[in-house]
Amino acid sequence: MLLIALLLIPVATAVASYFARRRVEMERANLAGFSLVFIVAIALAGQVLASGALSLAKGFFYADALSALVILLTALVALLCATYSIGYLRDDQQSGELGDEEAEQLAQLRMIYTLTPLFVFSMMFVAVANNLGVMWAAIEATTLVSVFMVTFYGKVTSLEAAWKYAIIGGVGLSMALFGTLVAYYAGHGLAGSDALAGLNWSVLAQHAELLDKTSMRLAFVLILMGYGTKAGLAPMHTWKPDAYSEAPVPSAAILSSAMLNCALYGLIRFYILTSRCLGTEYPSRLLLLFGLLSMGISVPFILVQKNLRRLLAYSTIDHGGIMVTALGVGGALGSFGLMLHMTYHTLAKPLIFFCAGSVRQYYKTDLFDEIEGGVLRAMPLTGAVFFIAMLAIVGMPPFSLFQSEFIIVRAALDGGHLLAVALFVFFATGVFAGVVLHVVRMILGRGDERPVAPRRPWRDGSIVALAAALVVIGFWIPAPLLELTHRAAQVVSGR
Amino acid sequence: MLMRPFLDLQLGERIITLMAALVLVLQIAVVAQRWIITHIRIFAIQSFFLAAIAATIAWFNHAPHIYAAALLTLIVKVILVPIFLERLVVRMEIREEIKPIINVPLSVVIAGGLTLLGYVVAESFYHPDQPGLGHNELAVAISLFLIGFFTMINRRKALTQVLALLSLENGLFLAAISLTYGMPLIVELGILFDVLVAAMVLGILVYRIRETFESMDVSRLRRLRG
Repeated sequence: MLLIALLLIPVATAVASYFARRRVEMERANLAGFSLVFIVAIALAGQVLASGALSLAKGFFYADALSALVILLTALVALLCATYSIGYLRDDQQSGELGDEEAEQLAQLRMIYTLTPLFVFSMMFVAVANNLGVMWAAIEATTLVSVFMVTFYGKVTSLEAAWKYAIIGGVGLSMALFGTLVAYYAGHGLAGSDALAGLNWSVLAQHAELLDKTSMRLAFVLILMGYGTKAGLAPMHTWKPDAYSEAPVPSAAILSSAMLNCALYGLIRFYILTSRCLGTEYPSRLLLLFGLLSMGISVPFILVQKNLRRLLAYSTIDHGGIMVTALGVGGALGSFGLMLHMTYHTLAKPLIFFCAGSVRQYYKTDLFDEIEGGVLRAMPLTGAVFFIAMLAIVGMPPFSLFQSEFIIVRAALDGGHLLAVALFVFFATGVFAGVVLHVVRMILGRGDERPVAPRRPWRDGSIVALAAALVVIGFWIPAPLLELTHRAAQVVSGR
Repeated sequence: MLMRPFLDLQLGERIITLMAALVLVLQIAVVAQRWIITHIRIFAIQSFFLAAIAATIAWFNHAPHIYAAALLTLIVKVILVPIFLERLVVRMEIREEIKPIINVPLSVVIAGGLTLLGYVVAESFYHPDQPGLGHNELAVAISLFLIGFFTMINRRKALTQVLALLSLENGLFLAAISLTYGMPLIVELGILFDVLVAAMVLGILVYRIRETFESMDVSRLRRLRG
């Protein structure tokens, strides 16, 4: 029931927004829909904690602790973005970013308020699909739905960004499909070729030792390249800064947190199969390579970055790299660090995007040189929260991301990955230096004498709520949530 | 019963190998030709042969679920997608021909080399005791995939890149059929739905790029850096 509700509510929201006549109706539909989705996600997490993995329709839908965690995080981001969007898009409409005529503006709003629920629907589908082929189709659907979010403002650069996003994503996903196919071949004969269960993850995971080993090697490489492209791992990351800096800020926030989780989720499912079939050494080496490469590549781009939102995109590439490194470190502790990091990052990244969005709308630019500085004076609340979010995102103690990164480093030390630890710390320091350099100058530096920004209830409200959650969770994580991350880590490590 | 089942299967395999060879020839023809409209038609014919291969397998192996996959391929990739793309071409009034980066004769040689590579890769997959077709089909499938990649890099026209992406998917379809007699039907359905939507999304994007830049040359998309 819960699983069906999880999929039906976003679709109903999309339909309602599509047929809504006025802006306020679309806003209400989205807000109500995502609140419901969030409640259902909490209920689902509760049920998974109480009675273990759920399965529905002869195993077509399947949700264990890992799915429940990803669903919960997606639902949270969707709700927060729906709240923030209201203020953000109203501002855009007033300042003429959506066109001059009212019919045109309404069409734009209808598009974004319809696409967002569909986007959430496809991400939920990724998390509850048991069949790996269906999961692939859902991940591809997330790309197709979000292409028109990137072209939202219809600028020359947005078309370029959307083109890169669609084509690089398409090529990546065709590799992932090839990988899925090879995995199907590896498990061929376990459940009969034309049986629906032939690609069901729960079935394959039970018989992972019996899968054909040569095929699984190839399958994992293809999947890593494929879903790695979707997650924006280096060197397939080039679409990311473009897409994030062209999409409207609420959409970029979803792309950089919830969709990153979904792509990693697909990778993790295959990692579990591969590590049970071939042992952890083979996938670990590849994951560490790509994870550390992504962290490393983001450092120089962050250091010389001129554009605020592109800086945040490279920070997401860095965090994607951290999570993949954690998966490569593996074991009980490494997997736990991964799940914690995913949770914390999903809180911190939308927050910093929201702050950047508010700054962008007030200053009308994303460039550091044009903002100059003085954000704290002109926008006291946003500036202060921005500072906190920045410290969290670079992994400063006492904030939560420091804890998860610390756990990952400890797990890597325990596992004897000394070189990986050295590189990890080196790259993390580089990112720290780069982000702090730019953001501190922007927030505290001397800027022009512009008046203090007016109050913005919708945007400031979501920023404050999320900031409070981020700070609190650093010191006190609710017991059920901690239990859920533990269980999700157990799914990954098998222990 | 005129023929024993054994011969029956062999005949089927021969027909399939013949059609797979035609699919490969068409893919190399794509590399050699220069008009977008021809490219779309070649894609349609290639997809038609794939559907025919699927139907042949269904017939000789008595596997009715593959008929459904064949029929879906026929509807989506032979009829809907090509019609949509041709309309797009007519609406955009494209007359210019495709300018490849590498000239045509050299491209064909490279495509030949990639086919050879496909055969080498397919060889490592071949287990005589495993079910599935011979390694000819898999080799063709991998070659389609590689040549598709090459076309994507070699041609800078947006619509050509879309077609190259679609031909990657054709390669995957052939690989699925030759390795495992196709994916489960529900997966096939999901994939084809995505192909259809992807063709439309990319088509709209191409149209808007064309309107904005008055060209489909994607090498002009180079404002976003760093």
